[in-house]
Amino acid sequence: MNAVELRNVTKRFGRVTAVDDLSLDVPQGSVYGFIGPNGSGKTTTLRMIMNIYYPDSGSIRVFGDELHGACTDRIGYMPEERGLYKRMKVRDVLRFYGELKNGKDVGKEVDRWLERLDLSDWASRKVETLSKGMAQKVQFIATVVARPELAILDEPFTGLDPVNTDALREAVLELGAGGTTVIFSTHDMNVAEKMCDFIFMIFKGRKVLDGTLAAIQDQYGSDTIRIRTEDGGAALHGLDGVEKIADFGQVQELRVAPGRDPQEILSAIVSRTRVRSFELARPSLHDIFVRIAGPEAREVTDA
Amino acid sequence: MRKVLRVAEREYLATVRTKGFILGLVLAPVLFGGSALAMLLFRNQVDTRDKVIAVIDRSGLVSEAVIAAAESRNSAVVYDTLTGEKIRAPYVIELVPPDNVDPDRQRLELSNRVRSGELHAFVEIGAGVLHPREDTAVSHIKYYANSAALDDLRGWIERPINGDLRKLRLAEAGVDPTMAEDMFDWVGATPMGLVRVDPETGMIAEAGRSTEAQAIVAPLVMPMLMFLLIMLGAVPLLNAVMEEKSQRIAEVVLGSVTPFEFMLGKVVGGVGVSLTAATVYVVGGVFAIRHMGWAEYIPYHVLPWFFAYTLLAIVMLGATYAAFGSVCNDPSEAQSMMLPGMLPVMIPMFVLVPVLREPTSAFATGLSFVPFFTPMLMLIRQTVQESIPVWQPWLGMAGMILCAGFCVWAGGRVFRVAVLMQGTPPKLANIVRWALRG
Repeated sequence: MNAVELRNVTKRFGRVTAVDDLSLDVPQGSVYGFIGPNGSGKTTTLRMIMNIYYPDSGSIRVFGDELHGACTDRIGYMPEERGLYKRMKVRDVLRFYGELKNGKDVGKEVDRWLERLDLSDWASRKVETLSKGMAQKVQFIATVVARPELAILDEPFTGLDPVNTDALREAVLELGAGGTTVIFSTHDMNVAEKMCDFIFMIFKGRKVLDGTLAAIQDQYGSDTIRIRTEDGGAALHGLDGVEKIADFGQVQELRVAPGRDPQEILSAIVSRTRVRSFELARPSLHDIFVRIAGPEAREVTDA
Repeated sequence: MRKVLRVAEREYLATVRTKGFILGLVLAPVLFGGSALAMLLFRNQVDTRDKVIAVIDRSGLVSEAVIAAAESRNSAVVYDTLTGEKIRAPYVIELVPPDNVDPDRQRLELSNRVRSGELHAFVEIGAGVLHPREDTAVSHIKYYANSAALDDLRGWIERPINGDLRKLRLAEAGVDPTMAEDMFDWVGATPMGLVRVDPETGMIAEAGRSTEAQAIVAPLVMPMLMFLLIMLGAVPLLNAVMEEKSQRIAEVVLGSVTPFEFMLGKVVGGVGVSLTAATVYVVGGVFAIRHMGWAEYIPYHVLPWFFAYTLLAIVMLGATYAAFGSVCNDPSEAQSMMLPGMLPVMIPMFVLVPVLREPTSAFATGLSFVPFFTPMLMLIRQTVQESIPVWQPWLGMAGMILCAGFCVWAGGRVFRVAVLMQGTPPKLANIVRWALRG
């Protein structure tokens, strides 16, 4: 069964089409990653699933029901920017959000999550005294405290330090393991690759990728050479059969042109410098993202 | 409904727990009471220095009477008869011969003496003042002073002049003024209330004397209190919603409640805040007034109306302000929306006096049926005039209920569109379009 089903959903703001004829199935119990450049329509899609925005056309079903009021109690929503009453105490604001969702045993859940995310000492403090990372964790608790069956997290890891990122990532995975369907948007492709069962990419309001990471990578084949050499990127310029070089300093990624043999390219490199490591790989999600939404792709699309 | 009440509870507690609310609750009556007390304390604080008035009597008939009247007054009221303390300013009359060659220059010189403080005022009595119908151009009494229109002395000086002129006219008519002193007696009309049947004895009870307190103070206190309650309960919703929008709280809350529920909850919270303050003020006020022995001035019959009007006013205005707040992005925009938002409250304040004077006029009656104005104006009419037609308050109430329903409905539609719209400056045209089209 699908937790969320979008069918031919379109949303316009004036003359701008934010989401264009989008169809999407989010299986129940999955962790689904939404990726896409800024302004591509991720947040608008999430807000429509939350019933905050109404689509201009198409339909949205959550747990099999058309979106009308009460089913939003089964959804927890964490917006991109924090939305907490600054003058309220942490425990009070969490109880308020939990009770708005008609949550049960909200008080116990609040205490459990505060303990779980190491915030118990801050329970009686006002929200305005929290650091950004703490406020983000509190916002996450507000999202899950009513035990939602579907959690929608809009860029939950943005701006967090590695320790808090790990804590929140574990909490999200714990939710998924407990049967909660999780949809989150992110700009961190590593996070999406490692955490998501399914990845959906939206670009200029239209769906451009949807599936498991393996299935998405299969669409592109093993067209990437990941290499480390003694002379770094300087030794790789002007190689025949290479479409693009991504230089990460210690490692370089070479995109092989269609129909060219990676072995020939390797031979050419060996003739120029010593090769320390060589791997023929499928493109990373980052690379796929850039291929779709990078400057070159934009030029093609805009032309 | 449960969610509405939860939003309302948060809104209510967030307001009544603030120091500002508690201080305001205490300070408002202290300030009101303090100003009344100050008026009482300082009412005898008058300037007792001599007030010199120059008199140019072109008629040559009445200057002596003015001097005699001033001396008579000074001996009667300037000094306290028991303590001998000087409690009022003596009036000193300075006779100035008329300059018939250059009267304008004479007026200028006297005006300059007033400006320098040497004179309090000067009076010019026209040559034809005895028979004003013969030549109106010279039958004037002109009073020149810095604040002539508001000067009590202007009213005083009319009496001896006109009194003496009447005597002279009687004498011309061959009547001895000393034989017709009743001609100068003046009997005022005592303001009385209406006679009614005493509900306890069944007898016709004597009408009570109507006082200025009954006529003006009591009808004004409740609209003023209502204004204060609107400021406490409804107006803050504009800033509260603007803050919730700018701090992205609205987006989180709208993930749990509909825009209509959210706004209704906030309005109900505002109603709770206002009714809390109203209860404190009304109960405290009634207790204090009874304790002071002025219970007869309390218009008990309109108190239930007062609470009902206040409740509906907060719903109407609260929904409007919440909708206005949802279109604002920052405090400066909220400030600019405050003016049109305050008009429904300010307009009744501007017309308080004419409505107070003529509560059954077409003007007062018509305005009191405009739902936004009904709370204050109908209340004043009910307080001043106990016998306005019974159907009028009920019709006004029905109009308010319909208007309150419309405000919440339309406000919810504006709120839904605007609350997530960042960066769009507020425009009344947009608000109207969103209210009608959603």
